[in-house]
Amino acid sequence: MSSLTSETFRENAKAALADAQLRGALKNATSLFGERRREAAASLPNWEALRTQARAIKDEVLLHLDRYLEEFVRNAESCGAKVHWARDAAQANSIICGLATERQARIVVKSKSMTTEETHLNDALEAAGMQVVETDLGEYIIQLAGETPSHIIAPAIHKTRGQVAELFTTELGMPPTDDIAQMTHTARLTLRDHFAAADVGISGVNFGVAETGTIVIVENEGNIRLTTSLPRVHIAVMGIEKVIPHFADLDIFLKLLVRSGTGQRLSTYQSFITGVKKQQSDEGPEELHIVLLDNGRSRMLAHPVTRQSLACIRCGACLNACPVYQQIGGHAYGSVYQGPIGAVITPQLMGIEKTSQLPYASTLCGACREVCPVKIDIPRLLLHLRSEIAPRKGSIVERLAFKVWARMMMSPTLYKLSSVAGRIFQRATPISRAWTNDRDLRPIESKSFHDLWNE
Amino acid sequence: MNNEILRSIRSHLAASAPHDAREQVSRRLTQINADPISVNLRQSAAELFRLNLEAVNGHCVIAQGETEIARALTQIIVRGQRIAISDNPLVERLMHLTDLEIEALTIAPNDIFSYDVGISTVQAAIAETGTLVLVSADERHRLVSLVPPVHIAIVDASRICETLAEALTLLRNGRELSRAVTFITGPSRTADIELTLTVGVHGPQELYVIVNG
Repeated sequence: MSSLTSETFRENAKAALADAQLRGALKNATSLFGERRREAAASLPNWEALRTQARAIKDEVLLHLDRYLEEFVRNAESCGAKVHWARDAAQANSIICGLATERQARIVVKSKSMTTEETHLNDALEAAGMQVVETDLGEYIIQLAGETPSHIIAPAIHKTRGQVAELFTTELGMPPTDDIAQMTHTARLTLRDHFAAADVGISGVNFGVAETGTIVIVENEGNIRLTTSLPRVHIAVMGIEKVIPHFADLDIFLKLLVRSGTGQRLSTYQSFITGVKKQQSDEGPEELHIVLLDNGRSRMLAHPVTRQSLACIRCGACLNACPVYQQIGGHAYGSVYQGPIGAVITPQLMGIEKTSQLPYASTLCGACREVCPVKIDIPRLLLHLRSEIAPRKGSIVERLAFKVWARMMMSPTLYKLSSVAGRIFQRATPISRAWTNDRDLRPIESKSFHDLWNE
Repeated sequence: MNNEILRSIRSHLAASAPHDAREQVSRRLTQINADPISVNLRQSAAELFRLNLEAVNGHCVIAQGETEIARALTQIIVRGQRIAISDNPLVERLMHLTDLEIEALTIAPNDIFSYDVGISTVQAAIAETGTLVLVSADERHRLVSLVPPVHIAIVDASRICETLAEALTLLRNGRELSRAVTFITGPSRTADIELTLTVGVHGPQELYVIVNG
């Protein structure tokens, strides 16, 4: 599973479509999360106003991202955090490996972070000789199985309880059971040993508040609180687009993020961390390092259409709403970011060469735009990316066909001729077998609107 | 500050300016009515808090005065359980009203996972979500509220805000933000295996809130 790449999207998608178990799990997950999101949004009378407001705040931040980042860094450092700037994945990994190595870390506990998956941090830490333990239950399961997440909110949704039980029995020595509570308890106990032994805790960041230098992390399980409370050193990895201006803005963003993601009113835990503890006897880590990651993000600022990709708050609502994602799931995208938002972010982060199939993984139905809590116009972004890909990768036949079509549409005589020809050829030739195998093609009417009008 | 990432941000934003002139970028911030989520004026904040806490599998006890709170504590705690408390004087006083034995959580860092119950107060609560607000500057309760399988929190009814917005304003109001602020809404939960809700994965399996007043 983990070897899939975006280059083979079509083949990946075909394989996923043939996987009945995966499709059943996806159907359950996407419809459940979709339904919960709808209910949660409907229960807030000002939902639309919240979306508009959130987007306006994001637009404001992105248009002055340099200033907001400087403010964030100043305030975080004045409270004892140390901020590191990473231009790309390699630099981020080398900063983090350096910090961990200098502190002679052997065990690193991690809470779920898309950004560190983007940089493939675990591989880098392991190559530097450290044991890395994912502590989110879903992430832990797929780490044990050597796989990658299939859903942003429920990373191990593609695995059945039977498969998880087998994995825990083999890897953790759990007595065989089909009781999910028992499996969860086994993970709790095993991971507590890792938490107790860990030298460094690594987390992501949901929001960075410029005016206070606070990082905000949202979760349900409590593993983020343990990761950021128990080890002596906390390293938080944050995309440069995560900054928001004011602490009070969290009212809007927490409401939108949690309701769009899981349909809850609030997630179980929100940690608001501002610098490090003031005195030795206080609880919490002695060091806080915030790694600000660019990795292709600043490039997206150069055009208003691409810039809106940076407004994303990673809620996952567009995945659940997408008719393509609902059928094929996350693995087929061959990338960390999946679904509609993945199809627009991945090509921008990794370059269009190896990801050119992704912007076509959409019917442009607009469901993603409807549910997006920050109103990202994903269909427009998809078209924008397609317009960059087409001149390079579009087929010669397609371009020729459109030239012929344009010529015909400009000449009334050719247009009339073509409709007559169409009527004859539609019956004579078995066009597009792939299409007509499962569907009926409506025959072209024997008389066109033109003919009827003339009569 | 001047580094290559900030320079890259500035140059790409500059490149965007001509495109922005053609786009309608929504820069105007609109005013939002901060409607409370459940608008029922007859319900007191404490009652609304209780309803919303119970909706996320938390338990709520309303008690009046320290004697009643102490009685509630003895009803929740099973004799013989190892108890860790925060450094709030009220919690210690309450524990003396019961005849339960206490140990402070932070005394033995390599032993923190062996406690059964953690007790603390909280600095505020949010009625519309059933949320507890913990402020590290006021109390050492980061671990007692997280590590033991049972967390008992005590909150004064007067500290219950109606809305999330109100709580955020309260935290920020006129003072430096505390180094660690934690919001807790119900016991720890996951649905990572077959989307089945399971309570108590990494944090407490049970959350009891005693509202004073």
